[in-house]
Amino acid sequence: MRKLGRHLLALALLATIAAPFSGLGAGAQTQTENMIVMGIDGLDYGLVRQLIDEGRMPNFARMEREGQFGPLETAASPQSPVAWSNFITGLDSGGHGIFDFLHRDLDNELELPFGWPYASTAREGAPGFDLKIGRWVIPLTGGGIELARHGDAFWQLLADENIPTTIVRMPANFPPIGVADRELSGMGTPDLRGTPGEFFFFSTDRRQFMKSDISGGFIYPADLIDGKFVGTLVAANDNPLTLDEEDAITADFTVYVDAEANAAKFEVGAHEFILQTGEWSDWIAVDFELIPYLQSMSGAVRFFLKSVGPEFEVYVTPIQLDPMAAAMPISEPASFAEELAEVTGGFYTQEMPEDTKAIQHGVFDLDDFLAQTTLAREETIAQYRYLLDTWEGGFLFSYFGSADQTSHVLWGITQDPDHPAYDPALHDQYREVIPNIYEEFDALVGETLDRIDDDTTLVVMSDHGFASWKRTFHLNTWLLEHGYLTLQRRGSLPVKEFFSGVDWARTQAYSVGISAVYLNLRGREPQGRVAPGDRLGLLEDIERKLLATIDPATGEPAVTKVYLRERDFHDRGNIEIGPDIVVGFAKGIRGSGNNALGGIAAEFMSDNTDDWSGDHIMDHRTVPGVLLASRPMARPATSLQNLAAALLAEFGIDGFPDGSEPVTVVDEDE
Amino acid sequence: MSLLNNLLGGTFDLLLLPFRSLPPMVGLVVVSALCSVGMLLGYRATSNQPAVEAVKRKIAAGLFEIRLYNDDIVAIFRAQGAILRDNLRYLGLNLVPMVFMMAPFVLIVAQLQFHYGYEGLEVDTPVLLQVTLAEGSTADVELDLPDGVRLDAPRVAMPTLPGAAWRLVPEAAGSYEIGIRVGDETLTKTLVADSRVTRRSPNRLAPGFLNQLIYPAEAPLPADSAAIAIELHYQERELSVLGFGMHWLIWFFILTMALAFAMKGWFGVTI
Repeated sequence: MRKLGRHLLALALLATIAAPFSGLGAGAQTQTENMIVMGIDGLDYGLVRQLIDEGRMPNFARMEREGQFGPLETAASPQSPVAWSNFITGLDSGGHGIFDFLHRDLDNELELPFGWPYASTAREGAPGFDLKIGRWVIPLTGGGIELARHGDAFWQLLADENIPTTIVRMPANFPPIGVADRELSGMGTPDLRGTPGEFFFFSTDRRQFMKSDISGGFIYPADLIDGKFVGTLVAANDNPLTLDEEDAITADFTVYVDAEANAAKFEVGAHEFILQTGEWSDWIAVDFELIPYLQSMSGAVRFFLKSVGPEFEVYVTPIQLDPMAAAMPISEPASFAEELAEVTGGFYTQEMPEDTKAIQHGVFDLDDFLAQTTLAREETIAQYRYLLDTWEGGFLFSYFGSADQTSHVLWGITQDPDHPAYDPALHDQYREVIPNIYEEFDALVGETLDRIDDDTTLVVMSDHGFASWKRTFHLNTWLLEHGYLTLQRRGSLPVKEFFSGVDWARTQAYSVGISAVYLNLRGREPQGRVAPGDRLGLLEDIERKLLATIDPATGEPAVTKVYLRERDFHDRGNIEIGPDIVVGFAKGIRGSGNNALGGIAAEFMSDNTDDWSGDHIMDHRTVPGVLLASRPMARPATSLQNLAAALLAEFGIDGFPDGSEPVTVVDEDE
Repeated sequence: MSLLNNLLGGTFDLLLLPFRSLPPMVGLVVVSALCSVGMLLGYRATSNQPAVEAVKRKIAAGLFEIRLYNDDIVAIFRAQGAILRDNLRYLGLNLVPMVFMMAPFVLIVAQLQFHYGYEGLEVDTPVLLQVTLAEGSTADVELDLPDGVRLDAPRVAMPTLPGAAWRLVPEAAGSYEIGIRVGDETLTKTLVADSRVTRRSPNRLAPGFLNQLIYPAEAPLPADSAAIAIELHYQERELSVLGFGMHWLIWFFILTMALAFAMKGWFGVTI
C-alpha cells in the first residue's frame, strides 16, 4: 500500500512538471465540454447592434448580457473564401493561400500572360489514366478535385483530442478534408456542371432571348405546341466517357400547360407532378446517361413555374449533386449527406444556393428571389435542427448563408437612400426583409440556448459585415489611366473580353479578381516586363497613387487601404499564389465584376445600378463581422484569424496559430 | 383472370396480414421461405432427379479430371469440353421444371409487387392522380373526393394527352376510394395512405390479359369505359437491411434461392 502511494505521488509530481509542456497546462484550462458554433455569413455588426438596441433580437441581447458580444475583424480582403480560410486555419492569406474568389492561372493556355482564372479554393487534380475502347473512354484512375486551401483546419486539433466533431457547410472545405467525424462541404462546392451554379430558364418571351449571353445560367426559347413543351437540361457539354465532340450529357423533361387552370403537369424521368404558377417543386432526382444502360450520373433540381400565360416560363435550379448518389465528394463519410437528405429532405449542395444571378438577369423578380432564398434557408435550418436533435456533445459547426446573399441584393436599395438604385417604393416594400432574417436567426439562437446545458457554449460568428455598394471601381481602367496597363490601340474601350487588345510588352500591372493587382513581372509572367529589382518601387508607386485617388462623384478618397503582399501578409508558405497588391476600397465602393475577368471599362469609376446593391469587399476595417458567446470566453478573440485559437482554448487546447506570430506552412505532400 | 386475381389477392392479403405492422423484411423472409418450399416440391415433382444427379456427378468428375491431369493439356481441354456439354445438359434438365414453375412464380411476384414495391402515401404529402381517356374522347372528367383527401391544385387538362391530372393530399392515414366521373359513368380508384405492408395499386387499367397479369391489385376498368387508365403515383420502395437498400425483388430472389439451397437436403431434392 505504501508502495502504491509512492507511485501515485511520483505520477502527480510528473504530471505537475509536464503540465506546462502538454498543451493542457496553465492558461489552457478547459472552459467548456461542448461547443456549438453558428457561422452566419455576412451578419453585420452595426445592424445587429441596432436591432439589439431596438429590442428586436432578444436572444442576441441575452448572449451579450450573459456572455459577450462585439465586432470581429474580418480578413484582408474581406471576401468569404479568404475570411473563412482565416478562421479555419488561423493564418492569413500568405499561409492558407486564398487571396480572392479567383486566382490567375500562370499556365499560358490563352497565349496571354496567364490562363483563365480559377476558383481559388479547389482545383482539378492531375489527370488519371483512361482506357479507350472504340468511341468510349473508361477512366481507370480518377483525376479528382483537390482542396486548394493550405494549413491545418482547427478541427484537426479537436479530432486529435478525440472530441466528436461535426462540421456542416464550412466554406472553403470542398472536398471535405474528412478529419472531423462528419463533414458536409459548403461554399466552393460546384454544381453538377462543375460551375458555381448555372440555372436554366425556358421562356416563350422573345425579349428574354436578348439576354442569351449571360453568366450564371442559360436562357432558352420555349416552343409550346398544343400546350406541350419539351425542355432539356444539360449536365455537361461534352461527355467525358466518349471521344465524340459535342456529345452533351442531357436529360429531357416534359411540361403540359393548362393556361385556364394556371397550372402545369411536369414529367421528369419517372417523376410526375403538378405545379401552379408561382410554385416550386420538391427536389427531383434526374439521371444523366453517360453510357446507355450502363453508366449514369445523378443530379437533383427544383422546378419553378414562373408563368403559364401570356408567356410560359419555367426556371430550373442549377443541377445539384444528388446527396443520395453524389458524383463528387460532398461529405465525409459519404453517408452523412445521404443521412441528411433522408431525414430532412433533398437540399442545395452547390456553394451559395441563393440565385443572385437569376435576379441580376431579370429571370427572378425580387419576390421570386426571396421565395427561393427562403427555401434554401429552411433547408439549412431543418438540417441544423436535426443535428441538434441527434447531437451527443463535442463540437458542432453549422453555416448559414442566407443573410449574406439577401444582403447583397437588398442592402443598398433598402438600407441606403444615397444608393444610385434606391427606390422609395422598393424601400417601403422590402426594408424589413434583412432585419426579419436577422430576427429569424435570433429565434434560432434562442431555440439553441434553450436546448443546451451548462457544459455547452454557444458561439455565433460572422465572417464580415455589410455596406451599401454605391460606386464601382474598375481597377484595370485605373491602371490604364495611370500608365501601368497599355492597350495596343487607344480608344478601344470598353474591353469586355478577357484582356482583349492589351499590349503586354508595355504593361506593368493588371488586375484579375475583385481587388487584386498583379505586376507583369519578368521571370514570373510569361511576357513579364517589370524587372524583379524594380518590383518594390513600383508597388509603392501604385500604392501611393491608389491612396491618393479621389472619387470624382463624391470628392472623397476611393481607396483607404492598400495591402502589399510581403509587407501586410505575415504568414508564409503560399504567398507566391497571391496578388502583389490587394486594394481596400473605401466603404461604399467595390471593385467591378467585369474587371474580375479581365474587362476594362470606359471610366475608372461608375455608379452601381446593378441588382447587387450591397457588398463587403472594401477596406476590411469598415465591414467587421460579429462574435457572440453564451459565456465569456477565456481568451479574447478579436479577429477571424485568432478566433479558432480562442475556441480551441475553451477546450483546453493550445498551440493553434492566431496571427500573433508568423507561420510558414509546409504541406506534407510537398 | 379477374377471378384468379381476386383469389390470389385475398390469399396474399390474408397471408401477409400478421406481418402488416412489422418491418417489410420480416414478411418477405416468410414468403420467401414458403416459396422456397414450394419451389423444392415443384422441382422434385417435375424434374428428372436421377438424371440431374448423374449430370452433376459428371460435372464434378470433369472438374476432378482437370485437377488430376493439370500437366496434360489435351486431357484438360477434353475435360473442359465434357464439362461444357454436361452443363448444357444440366440446363436442359432444368427447363421442364422451370416451365412448370414459371406461371405460379409470375403470379406470386405480381401479387407481392403491390405489397412491397411501393411506399405508402404520407399524410399531408401531395400525390398525382391522372386519368387517361381513349383517343378522341371528349368526356368531361371530375373527381368526387372522400373525407380525408383534399384537392391541392386545380385540375390540369392536357390537350395532347386526353384526360386530366390532379394533385391530391391525404389528410389522414387510411384507405380511400376516389370517385371519378367520366362523362356519365362513375369509376373508383383506391388510395392508400398507410406506411404498413398492405396492397397498393398504382394503376387501374383497361381490361386485357396482360394488364390483368401485370396489374392484378385492382379490378380492371369497364370494357366500355371512356377511361383507359387511372394512375396514382406511389413512390417505389427500396428495402434496406443494415443500411443496404435494394429493390424487394432482388431480396426476394436472393432469399428464395438461399433458403431453397439450405433446405434441399430436408426435402431430398438435388438441384
